[in-house]
Amino acid sequence: MAKRPSAMDRFLEWTLNLDRRWIYLLVAVSVITPIVVPIGLPVTTTSSTRSAFEFVETLKPGDVAWLSFDYGPSSAPENDPMAEAFLRQCFLKKVRVVVIALYPLGGLGLANNVLAKITAEFPNLVYGEDYVNLGYKDGAAAVMRRLGDNIADAFPTDVNGRPIGEFPILRGIHDIKQVKVVFTAATGLIGEYWITQVHAQFGTPVIIGPTAVSAPKYYAFLNAGQLVGMLGGMKGAAEYEKLLRAKYPELDRFYGGTRLFTATKGMDGQTVLHTVILLLILLGNIAYLRSRARRRVTDVGGGRGPAGTRP
Amino acid sequence: MTETFPGIGIWISALLTLFAFSFLYKDNPFFRFAESLFAGVSLGYYVGIVLNQTLKPNLIEPLTTNFAGNWDLLMAGGIGLLLYMRYVPKIGWVSRYALAIYVAYYIGVEFTRRIHGEVLPQLSRTVVPLFPWTGATLESLVFVIGVYSVLVYFFFSKEQNRVTRKIARVGIWFLMISFGAAFGFTVMGRIALLIGRLNFLILDWLYPALGI
Repeated sequence: MAKRPSAMDRFLEWTLNLDRRWIYLLVAVSVITPIVVPIGLPVTTTSSTRSAFEFVETLKPGDVAWLSFDYGPSSAPENDPMAEAFLRQCFLKKVRVVVIALYPLGGLGLANNVLAKITAEFPNLVYGEDYVNLGYKDGAAAVMRRLGDNIADAFPTDVNGRPIGEFPILRGIHDIKQVKVVFTAATGLIGEYWITQVHAQFGTPVIIGPTAVSAPKYYAFLNAGQLVGMLGGMKGAAEYEKLLRAKYPELDRFYGGTRLFTATKGMDGQTVLHTVILLLILLGNIAYLRSRARRRVTDVGGGRGPAGTRP
Repeated sequence: MTETFPGIGIWISALLTLFAFSFLYKDNPFFRFAESLFAGVSLGYYVGIVLNQTLKPNLIEPLTTNFAGNWDLLMAGGIGLLLYMRYVPKIGWVSRYALAIYVAYYIGVEFTRRIHGEVLPQLSRTVVPLFPWTGATLESLVFVIGVYSVLVYFFFSKEQNRVTRKIARVGIWFLMISFGAAFGFTVMGRIALLIGRLNFLILDWLYPALGI
């Protein structure tokens, strides 16, 4: 007579036939809970983010940094916090920032939104002196090539159509070689162009903030010394926020609010959900292996033939 | 403190997000409406961007304001138009010339970029002297073993023998580890997008709508 399966076996068998919608619900609960009740899990920093942060710290007041919005709304939860943190650091250090957008689907809209949000936090900033928005330009690789020759060739006017010669921030800055650092918040290929074209040809230091999906490929550039630093996805942005808050405690008024989305808060959900996913993978594998073992025993016990063969 | 009631834009975004999420339960007309709307709006937006941000400032305006100084743009515009000739079967072959120019241009740009900006710098940092031996040398050695074993795995011009099969096996391990890292990052990226959407639903829509 076949042995009756234990309660554990029945539970494991049940998990194998579980409707996947229960897993979706579990995922939703795992993400929603830390949003409603923030946990504040610690974020550890990595060397790639630290080197990016420390490089910006070495810039002097009056230096010009370049921020390129090379992403669209589809990756804004990852890239927005990076761009915001970089802008806050630059403005606190009185580093001047030139903003552009090279991503066609929404790059300029995001640049406008982020710039409006951060400049509102620093009411003393003057447009054209402390920062300028040069807008969107099509043809990323060709634009970068022109930036190496003459910025005015690539961007004759700012986003509002005013000639860039009017802006004090760009006086003495003729081409991208004179910019102290390029920060590209990027999805897709455009971030890579800044490294393989602008850094390779003109030597301008580049920091990249890629989406997590593209982050692995940029480690090769980082290890080859082609990048000053890298903020990999939401985790990288959270690390940057941590370094920024540690260095500039006055930023707590922006990062400490409960109703504001930050990468650090997003990492609560990441951690909880990653733990849930790991447990589900473990449970799924145990259930599968246990079920296979039970089938073998049943097959042999039932006289159906050697283990592993099915009638 | 209660925030202001969310505006119409927030409501539309929130409802469309919920329509999209509803597919997770099962396919339904709300999801299909959101899907079709998204595809249509994306295409329309992209067409608008190309017209207003590419063709207008780079072709139309230069030609209308200073034709004598920009007449050469007609050639670029003409080559672009040739691409559409494939929709006229009798002269469809003309589009191949435009395509050939386009491909040749990108090969020229990409070839230099890849060699100068990617292959050479990474090669020079991968293959470094073994002595003096430091921690970084060990790291480089792992890189070199990884690069060569993966190259052997992808070398299909000659049948593998006993030795190359073993090297290729090491290459598979390196590939699997890199795929695992890439998959882990991909999961993190997708979760980040989910977090972003749910944050929007709760903090920007639900809380203000409920007066919390």
